Amino acid sequence: MPIIKQQSPQLINIDERQRPRDFNGLVAELEADDSTARRWAARDLAEFPESVEVLVRRLKYEGDPSVRETILTTLIRLGNPATMTELVECLRSEDAALRNEVIEAMKELPDEVAPIMSELLADHDPDVRIFAVNILESLCHPQVEEWLIKVIEQDPHVNVCATALDLLGEVGTTASRLGLEQLKARFAEEPYIGFAADLAIKRIDES
Amino acid sequence: MKHILVVDDAATVRLYHRNILESAGYEVDEAVNGIEAMEKALQTPFDLYVVDINMPKLDGYGFLREIRSQDITQVPAIMVSTEAESNDRQRAYRSGANLYLIKPVKPEGLLTYIRLLLGVSTHIRPHLSNDKAIDR
Amino acid sequence: MTEITISEEDFRKFREYFYRKTGIQFEASKRYFVDKRLVERIEATDSEHFRNYFMMLRFDAKGDELQTLVNLMTVNETYFFREEYQFQCLVNSMLGEIVRRKKDNSPIRIWSVPSSSGEEAYSIVIYLLEHWPGIEKWDVEIISSDIDTDIITRARRGHYSSRSVQHLPPRLLQKYFVPSAGGYQISDDMRDAVEFTRVNLMEAADVRSYRGFDVIFCRNLLIYYDDMSRRQAAETFFDALNPGGFVCLGHSESMSRISSLFRVRKFPEAIVYQKPLGDL
Repeated sequence: MPIIKQQSPQLINIDERQRPRDFNGLVAELEADDSTARRWAARDLAEFPESVEVLVRRLKYEGDPSVRETILTTLIRLGNPATMTELVECLRSEDAALRNEVIEAMKELPDEVAPIMSELLADHDPDVRIFAVNILESLCHPQVEEWLIKVIEQDPHVNVCATALDLLGEVGTTASRLGLEQLKARFAEEPYIGFAADLAIKRIDES
Repeated sequence: MKHILVVDDAATVRLYHRNILESAGYEVDEAVNGIEAMEKALQTPFDLYVVDINMPKLDGYGFLREIRSQDITQVPAIMVSTEAESNDRQRAYRSGANLYLIKPVKPEGLLTYIRLLLGVSTHIRPHLSNDKAIDR
Repeated sequence: MTEITISEEDFRKFREYFYRKTGIQFEASKRYFVDKRLVERIEATDSEHFRNYFMMLRFDAKGDELQTLVNLMTVNETYFFREEYQFQCLVNSMLGEIVRRKKDNSPIRIWSVPSSSGEEAYSIVIYLLEHWPGIEKWDVEIISSDIDTDIITRARRGHYSSRSVQHLPPRLLQKYFVPSAGGYQISDDMRDAVEFTRVNLMEAADVRSYRGFDVIFCRNLLIYYDDMSRRQAAETFFDALNPGGFVCLGHSESMSRISSLFRVRKFPEAIVYQKPLGDL
């Protein structure tokens, strides 16, 4: 059975880094040709709170999904409100994958997202408003239902309301009931709205 | 019985589609995102996919690209989106969608298209790489 | 105290949420089982009724309550040849693909994490020796890691209860173990075949030297992690794997709730996840 051999105690110590692991070295590495080098740099920059600007800028034109994922993980760990403007810009991107990655990251940043939520829900672009509701799905914040009620009462776009409805089916309380009835009336010709509002109402009444 | 996979991150949307499809006699399975959809599509021979675009982890475009790159290139796919812009429509077709519908979907419309796609899918190759087919 | 009840819609709401977060879907027939555990947690958290409890569960930023529930709803025990179909997949499918891609004679590297008391890592060794002809030609290194040093000590010692080895065919039990102190002692050859190490997957400094793996077994661990920790663990695995390397998760776990870094691969024996070959 010697075929399976004992591994040397220090495992493998490959350090393929071309530059030192200080702030400037890592920032330079973030532009490397090799995606592994960029990913490692993005990960190690989590030790430098001042790196958020560089990271969020890189995010917008980084083509490798694995590097983008690591950049976002580092941004979540650093949790800096300064990143929000740039992340919101990414929600407007043509790249659906980037948008969805950013939505997931914003869900992990409740303290940073909460102050701008009202603004996002009032955005001129219905897609951004839909994404804002998507973010609410995992945002652990006491105002979630309040925001959702405002959406179903006021948002003119059927799909923004539809997205809010899905979530109200889960978190809705009696406070949402009137808004749900009104929404049904407002989009009486849309079977989906009727279905989803009825479901949310049923759940509120039953609990 | 024809078997349809509904892929959407919103539980209410999945349930809505399930009710419509089951009442028309289809068997339905669900997935919350493109990765779960891949897991299911690789294990079950579905007859059709109904796929949302924006989903966490792997979006609708990504799912279709993956599925079209594997062995399952034949299965027709309807992409359902909240976005009305024409470049989304084109991107959907380029990713391998056979049809692009705007939400909210009306039951009769959905069923008509499904019957159409299931009916013709044995005669034409549903993988449409150009942007012209079955548009509008 | 009034009796706590879970209504039909409460159950559906919970089922949807739990499915979205974990990928675990309860059949309607599991209703009694689920209700019973929910009531248990509602009482334990003084939530009074389902509504309060569900809100607490949903808005708990740290996800501790969800983890408690996952623990209650799943069985987590370790024994030899648990989820054997994945070992079959390893020897019948994954390794073949890995050796076809190898350009040199460097060893195949397998990482089993968490090691727990060693059953998984030793099962891999036994499986390779018994079922993989390639073992004649290829060196294989098996590293198994855990965060808990006590359990690593137990894994290194390799002494097991009869319950732990009950799924091993008698022939293999006889071949690789000796009865000892009311249980079974794994042979020294086997103990020498696995390197047990201590690692915290969340600690960048700990995982930095874990590179160049071909297969990672990480079963029934990530399901107990919160979203952020899952994300970091997935990135750690991505960096630890060679391009084209595989991750195997537990049967109730799905990468669809963890990370988008890997591609889904279907083999006849199992669904596994693959690090893409080359840059995308």
